[in-house]
Amino acid sequence: MSNPAVIPIHAYLIVSTLLFAIGVLAVLTRRNAIAVLMGIELMLNAANINFVVFWRYGGADKMEGLVFAVTVIALAAAEAAIALAIILSVYRRFKTVNVDQINLMRG
Amino acid sequence: MIASLWQAVWHSFLSGSFWYPLAFVCFALGTLIPAALVALSRNIVHAALWLLPCLVSVAGLYLLLGAELLAAIQILVYCGGIVVLILFAIMLTHGVGDPDVRVHNQQLLWGVVAAMGVAGLILRLLTQEAWQVAASPPPADVTGRLADALMGPYLLAFEVVSVILLAALIGAIVIARGESPAQEPQGPFGHAQGRPAGSEGKE
Repeated sequence: MSNPAVIPIHAYLIVSTLLFAIGVLAVLTRRNAIAVLMGIELMLNAANINFVVFWRYGGADKMEGLVFAVTVIALAAAEAAIALAIILSVYRRFKTVNVDQINLMRG
Repeated sequence: MIASLWQAVWHSFLSGSFWYPLAFVCFALGTLIPAALVALSRNIVHAALWLLPCLVSVAGLYLLLGAELLAAIQILVYCGGIVVLILFAIMLTHGVGDPDVRVHNQQLLWGVVAAMGVAGLILRLLTQEAWQVAASPPPADVTGRLADALMGPYLLAFEVVSVILLAALIGAIVIARGESPAQEPQGPFGHAQGRPAGSEGKE
């Protein structure tokens, strides 16, 4: 009944690769810093899918993949909180969150 | 002919070999299409809201892979926490919600080229590789064994993550608090410290 062998591992890996590429696209092209953060979250999700896929298809008797995935989710939450605090602080100082207008260190 | 075809379809219905690929395709499209809208949507609030079906579909992929606890954590932490946090940040930084603001920078073309290059490289590598892996049936008690692993051999990682979460909590409060408490001339304790020094008389 629950035979996941009908879905090859390549299908999951292609999905996670495309999700990672979309995250790269969002990080590279968005002007808003919050949207850049959303792209980072997409990339973290792609990595997490890969962890779970290799846990499942590499013989699910070891738990390293799931432990890694849980750790990544916790670190993503911490990173989002810190990044949004920094974005709010930057907005308070520069009155903008567009990353191409915050060029204080340009020579 | 038709009867045998119908019988085959019905058999695959019953055996589950029909539902798993169908659910996989639904969750894969439900992940990728909202993710593309997150990257390309003109309104930042819409982009943050498109993040929601994307993350729910990723939780569905976890369910298909047999990691129920991870799917629950995904929905609780991402959909319940991070998306709400992002929406709060969008609403606290005004002027970004109007759709007339240019949302992409000048390197949109190069960004698309770089993303397609990354995707092409990784796809080429992973389709060349013949993965010597087999999907064994899932172990009986995934959640219990994950709890045993977290409380057993990976206890150090668990504790380090909890310390990092505490540090992130304090750091986020300190960073987002602003500079108003430090700019008060009466010190951190306000009137209780300032009044005996007679600072009100000077003003």
